[in-house]
Amino acid sequence: MIDKIASLGHSGISMVISFGRAGRFLAGVLSGVPRPVAGFPLLMRQLYSVGVLSLAIVVVSGLFIGMVLGLQGYTILSDFGSEAAIGQMIALTLVRELGPVVTALLFAGRAGSALTAEIGLMKATEQLSSMEMMGVDPLRRVIAPRLWAGFIAMPVLAVIFSMVGIWGGMLVGVEWLGVFEGSYWGNMQASVDFRDDVINGVIKSVVFGFVCSWIAVYQGYDCVPTSAGISSATTKTVVYSSLAVLGLDFVLTAVMFGNF
Amino acid sequence: MGLSSYISLKDVVFSRSGRRIFNGVSMEIPRGKITAIMGPSGTGKTTLLRLIGGQLRPDSGSIMVDGHSVPDLRRKELYSLREKMGMLFQSGALFTDLSVFENVAFPMRVHTDLPEDMIHDIVLMKLEAVGLRGARNLMPSELSGGMTRRVALARSIALDPELIMYDEPFAGQDPIAMGVLVKLIRDLNGSMGLTSVLVSHDVKESLSICHYACIIADGKIIGAGTPAELESHPSEQVQQFLQGHPDGPVPFHYPALAATEDFGLAGGVL
Repeated sequence: MIDKIASLGHSGISMVISFGRAGRFLAGVLSGVPRPVAGFPLLMRQLYSVGVLSLAIVVVSGLFIGMVLGLQGYTILSDFGSEAAIGQMIALTLVRELGPVVTALLFAGRAGSALTAEIGLMKATEQLSSMEMMGVDPLRRVIAPRLWAGFIAMPVLAVIFSMVGIWGGMLVGVEWLGVFEGSYWGNMQASVDFRDDVINGVIKSVVFGFVCSWIAVYQGYDCVPTSAGISSATTKTVVYSSLAVLGLDFVLTAVMFGNF
Repeated sequence: MGLSSYISLKDVVFSRSGRRIFNGVSMEIPRGKITAIMGPSGTGKTTLLRLIGGQLRPDSGSIMVDGHSVPDLRRKELYSLREKMGMLFQSGALFTDLSVFENVAFPMRVHTDLPEDMIHDIVLMKLEAVGLRGARNLMPSELSGGMTRRVALARSIALDPELIMYDEPFAGQDPIAMGVLVKLIRDLNGSMGLTSVLVSHDVKESLSICHYACIIADGKIIGAGTPAELESHPSEQVQQFLQGHPDGPVPFHYPALAATEDFGLAGGVL
């Protein structure tokens, strides 16, 4: 019994230490004077790597999720003779929830794992150490552009996901199942509020982008520099990011839409 | 620290993961000379370079580099001091997303405001010094192990450092590549007036080019001096290392239970 309590305490202490290290790491990345001239090309490269290269998976997933929503929405709503509300249902579902959340999960799987593996390999092959020995801080040179790129790319990807999803829902609902196009767009315009729905969805994706990128770069930087260590860090990135996104989504939803 | 010493270590104690790596190591590394630090694998030779470069901090003791106490330097001062250091890593540590040319140009692009045509000329001069001017457009993945280290060497001298540290430069090299590296280290030290610290367990190659050498084992220095002095050193452990004897003060067998006990043979039949 005592051993179990001790083990629990040990795990708790390890977790607190880990949070502390991640916090110090983040402070190290964000501290210092930004150098726009030197930093901009690095940021652009990372935006391409984590943002543009994630577009394909985001667009395809958004399209299919929108189509599935259209199909399910029509099936359910037609029982009540309310299939005209399908546009409203798809738009609110995507903009408020599925857009930010699913994009963040896809981001963690595609870009987050790639960031962790890349930084971990740089550590294992002593590239980060060699940078330090050349008088170049790897936190500023390698980590910061990747963190900012994830932070910037995520909301844009989430908006694209929602747009493509709404279009996919229209393909199924309007083009295939015959819902009146005017109702699809009209109900959507009447019920989706820009500030309450769209902006809150973007705020969610900004938070998810920051958290997912932070987890990804920290896991890469802190990993054991061996093949097993990199593999474990990559897995942790996907698992921790997914859990963090789902947990934070509940908290943010409660704050934004709870009406307590 | 003596005037002729570029690096001075005094009573350095360092532990990692509960294991004592250095137990009061003191040494002086003279300015403008090649000093070899040798010792069996796992004795902390690379760790010593990381302590000198400020990537690790000692538990106690002082580490002075060119008059600066490395463990006491602030982050900015440390990075500034490192601009005077070059380090050749065992793996080469080239940036895999940059070409050979861009790897060598990297320190100049970061630390200087030199115009592009001047960077171009300096990079070609550095690559010429290591015999790889013609390989400037290759990517690191297209280089052999020996070529990788030569490019890394060109990059480490890009800013004309005062100190260069070599971490196992000969490990895993074929005889030709090893000969090339030996020549390069000797020539660069002579022509640029560098202070060179060479960490290796390749005794023959290291002693052939160094002015001074010290041997580390069991967390302390067991022998130091010129190559000639070391060859006649009275310590059995030093001689075992230099001659490569499989058994001696460093035993062939890892400590274990008595064989009879381990094999379960009662009465000492073995």
